[in-house]
Formats: sequence, structure tokens, C-alpha cells
Amino acid sequence: MSISTTDSVDVFLQGEKEPSGSWVFIVVGVVFSLSFLVLYSILYPGQDLPVISDLVPVFSGVFDSGIWFFILGTMIGIFAILGRLLLEATSE
Amino acid sequence: MDTVLTTMFYFWVSLFIVFFLTQRGLWIFSDVAKGTVSFMLEKALGPGSDLVEGRPGSGARSWILQGTLWLILGSMFTFTSMWLTHDPNALHSLASWGFVANANELASAGVYATLYGSVSMLVIGSGFHIIPKLAGTELASETNANLVSFVWTISVLVLVVGSQNNMILGIEIIPLGTAINAIALLAVILNQLLTVANKTRKMALPGWLILIALLSNPLLSIISIISGAADDSVGQWLSYHLFGGAFFFAGVAGVALYASSIASGNPLWSKTLVGVTLFGSILTINPFGDVHGQMVMDAFGPLAGNNVVAFSNQDMLAASFLMALVSIPVFAFASNMLVTMRGSDAFVDSPDYPGNAELNLGSWLIVPIAIGSLFVQTDTVSGTSELVGIANSLSVMAGWLVLVPLSLGAALSLYPELTGRHLFSNNRARWGYLMMTGGAIFGLSLTMIADFMDMALVEMMVEDPSTLSEELRKLGSVMFYGVVIGAILHSLNMITGIFRGEIISSDSVKSSSISIESYSLVSSTTVRKILASGANLDTEVIPVGEEDEKGSATKL
Repeated sequence: MSISTTDSVDVFLQGEKEPSGSWVFIVVGVVFSLSFLVLYSILYPGQDLPVISDLVPVFSGVFDSGIWFFILGTMIGIFAILGRLLLEATSE
Repeated sequence: MDTVLTTMFYFWVSLFIVFFLTQRGLWIFSDVAKGTVSFMLEKALGPGSDLVEGRPGSGARSWILQGTLWLILGSMFTFTSMWLTHDPNALHSLASWGFVANANELASAGVYATLYGSVSMLVIGSGFHIIPKLAGTELASETNANLVSFVWTISVLVLVVGSQNNMILGIEIIPLGTAINAIALLAVILNQLLTVANKTRKMALPGWLILIALLSNPLLSIISIISGAADDSVGQWLSYHLFGGAFFFAGVAGVALYASSIASGNPLWSKTLVGVTLFGSILTINPFGDVHGQMVMDAFGPLAGNNVVAFSNQDMLAASFLMALVSIPVFAFASNMLVTMRGSDAFVDSPDYPGNAELNLGSWLIVPIAIGSLFVQTDTVSGTSELVGIANSLSVMAGWLVLVPLSLGAALSLYPELTGRHLFSNNRARWGYLMMTGGAIFGLSLTMIADFMDMALVEMMVEDPSTLSEELRKLGSVMFYGVVIGAILHSLNMITGIFRGEIISSDSVKSSSISIESYSLVSSTTVRKILASGANLDTEVIPVGEEDEKGSATKL
């Protein structure tokens, strides 16, 4: 007696719904591409990345390094946490 | 006798005596000691105890939330130090406020914030939940646990300030921070010892791992000073690594092993392997961390010496041998974690399983990072110092890819039980995990590649620094910023979850599978699931279903 089993369906299958995490990999790809473009000086050849003082001249001599983008980002995050705490504590 | 064996001998003997006393009590003085400690923990605080709440779980919750907030500062300091390595003048504008940012000092601040602010607070906080659970009792003083968490945070703040400027108004700041930290730790230890003294059943081994971790810290401090280990560079290196093994590794292993069972619903795979992890963390020298004992010298301040001595042949042999043995507890821990979590495909999609991904990550990466650290430390001990260039990157990797994921994963696993709510958003938890992991792996790997390039250039005696190495460091620091974002996402998620997280239903609350005496059957289930939750043949299954009978008015 033989038991017939199906190992594959021999047809192309594609999910109808887009997985929510798929675009993460696109973002990662874009970030890597940008990083390599900067690394090989294709973007901004011969000069560093623009910094805050280039965009807003009033801050020249103060925010004249790219690190300030990141520090400001962290400050926004910390204030978001503090804001959430205050909002929840006073919401009742 | 040599420094390594002498110090380790004192450490083993003292730890055995303390363990013996913990098990046997203090004979006729036990009741007096219990009463005195209980008084010290609550009544002696006076009005201080009214500042905080003493509800069940509030102590653990407070420690864990503060530990998560420290993650942001720890990652931010580390990121900034990585940036300043390739761009030393990036923060020159802060000099007008009197703060001259320096890569090495910020790296030191990052270590204090990460290890003492984050990892320690997460481990101690989780311990406040785990030890009472495993001992079948309640925490001796929730009020004290809650209050002391703020003292600990102040001590870490002082340490961070001290790392930037160690001498203010003629006072050495880092020893001051260490002293405040020691007082807070003493309160934690007394609280946990009193809890263990009231135990109603035999405590499972993960609880002992946490307790031994706590006890080893003050013991090592005393021994390092008495034995003279704190006086020279070899002893300081040894003390640093003993702290790393006995306090950090044992503590993190204890909470992670408990959480692996909680997160997966599977029984802890092997008691023997937990025992091996426990003894291995004490008997061996952990290779994680720096190649010097500067941190010990800073912490002990005037009690430490600054004699730079080379390893003697006997020290070299003993240290290399004891470091090589670390593979045993590391493999025992990693295998126990991974097999316990086997078959659990929950990842972070289910609100019932937060922290699973972090625990998996830490369990996988502890093995390669331990082996890498072993090579670097052995290289230093032998005096070759060929690999010293990558020591810093590897040390940061051990922090952000092993200690932080394991302690954070454990805290996330316990979060629903501590707060009565799920995390606010699973999607945010997933993003937090991906950002932290991706940032740490890619950022630190790129930095390590740059380290290797610089080492090769130094070996070939090339004087001009490589521009590619500098670009890689830049890219590495930008990538590491993902860790900062991940830390912010986790903190925001946990804090918002306390107020708005979905309230957990009573049937989804898990009990530890390490010891289970009764199983509440709320709906139909399989025998496999009951056994997987830690039940055994003697477990009493109690049906707690709803009645279908028609209700009627209540008679008054």
C-alpha cells in the first residue's frame, strides 16, 4: 500500500496581504546606500555633510558639527518621555 | 604567594562563609538580627519612608523603570564618545559653558551609566520580584526598595559627574559616588536577606545566582582592600574582572534564566547547568571588559594605589587558567537559556512574550563575545598586547550585546506581572529591539574594523592615519545612534504602558515554571501545555471555570 504525499504544490504562491515589517528592509537598504554614497564622497564630494549652522546661520560657531543633529534628536526623545509622564499624571 | 590566587582564595572563603550563614542563620541571634534589620529598613528611615509607596511590586517597578531610563543616557554617552573619537572638536561650543568634552571621559560616563545605571538597576529590580517569588514569600520592605532606587540613581549621577571631573572642591567625586552606591547596595542586600530568611520553600538556583551576585559586591570591595589587590595594577585588573563575573555575569544570568522560563512558558531545562553557571561565575575570572583596572582605582580613590606592575609568571598562569575556565559557565548558561526557550515561536508579536527576542540575542552572542574577550585578555595578561587595539570595542560589545539585552529582556518579561498591564505597543517594542540590536551590531562591528585597520597601520609603522578608518568610525558612530533611538522607544513604551497598556487578563498571567504546586485550569487545555508550564505529577490541577447556572437576586 502506498501513501501519496504532496511535497510541493508546483504553483507559484504569493500572499495577498503585505507583511507590516517588509518595508523595514527597504529602509535599511536606503540607509546603507546613503551611508556608502557618503563614504565614497559621491554625495557632498570634497566636503563634510551639512550641519545645523550651515542650514541656520544664526547658530554658526555653536552647532557646527553633525553630532548636534543626533543630540537634538535625543533631546526630543527625552522630552517626549517627560511630556508623556506629565500628560498621564495630570490627565485625570 | 601571588596576587591572583591570594585574592581569589579570600573571595571564595568569604563567600562560602556568607553562604553558610545565609543558609543556617545566626543561631540564637537570628530573631534579633531579623528585628533589627526590619527596623532599619522601614522605621529607621523616619519620614523618608513616607515619600514613596509601598505597594507590592512597587520597588521592582521603580528600579526597572529607572534602569530603562538610564539606557538612554548610557547609549547617548557611548555614542558621543564614539563620535568624538573621529571628531574631537565636535562639541567645542560647550566649552563656553565650562564643559570640555573628551572621548575617553564620555566613554567612562557611558560605562557607569550603562553598567551601574542600567544593567545593575534592571538586575536588582528584577531580583526584587524574582527572589520573593522563588522563596514563596513577599519582599521584606517594598518601601525601602522603592526609596533606595532613588539613592542608587543619585549615586550613578555622582559617578557620571565624577567621570568628567573627579575633583570638585577638593573632594574626589568617584569614590564619593561609590560610597553612596555601596550604602544603597547594603540596603538592597539586607532587604533580600530578610526576604530569604522568611522563605517558605527551598529557593531555586536562579534566586541564589542573584543573591550571590549582590553579596559578592561588598565582599570583593573589602577583600580587594584587605588583600592589597587594590594597590597595584595586577590586583586592580583582577578585582575589575571578579566584579564583572560575580556581580554582573551572575546577576544577569540569574534574572535571564528565570525570565527564559517565564517568557517561553517552558520549564528551565537543566538545574545542573544553572549550578555550573553559579559556581563558574565565582570560581573563574570573567574576561569581559577593559584590559586594565582603572575603574577599580577610581572607585577606591585614596584606598587604592597606583603602582603599575607586570604580571608575574605565577599570576599569568593562574589568571590565564581561570579565564580559560570561563567557557564552562558561559556555555552552560547559553545552552540552558536557548534550550529552555526552544519551540517558543512567540518572538515579540504576542503581548504575552515581551523580552523574548532580547533574551535570545544575549544568549547567542555571549559565546562569541566571551571567546573574543578571552583572547584579548590573555593577550594582555601575557604581556604581548597585540590585540589591545580592539579591547575597547569588544568591551562595549559585551555591554550592549550581552549584558543589556539579557537584563532588559528579563525586565520586559516581568513587566506584565509587575504592572498588571502589557507594554503599550508591540510594534514599538519590535522597533526598539531592531534599532538597539542593529545599531549595536553594525556600529560596533564597523568600529572594530577601523580598530583592526589602525592596528595594522601601527604594526607597519605608517605615520599618516587612514582616512578610510576615520570614515568607518564615523559610520560606526552614526549606526550606533540606533541604540539611542531603541532605548528611547523602549522607555517610552514602558512608561506609556503603565498608564495605557492593555490590562492583562487573569488567565494570561504566567507563574514561574521553576516551581509550581498548583495549576489553575481556566479553560480546556492539553496535558502538554500543563506540563510545559512546569507542572509535575504532584501538581494539583484546580478547575476555576464559570458556572452556567441562572443567576438570581442577592439576598440581603
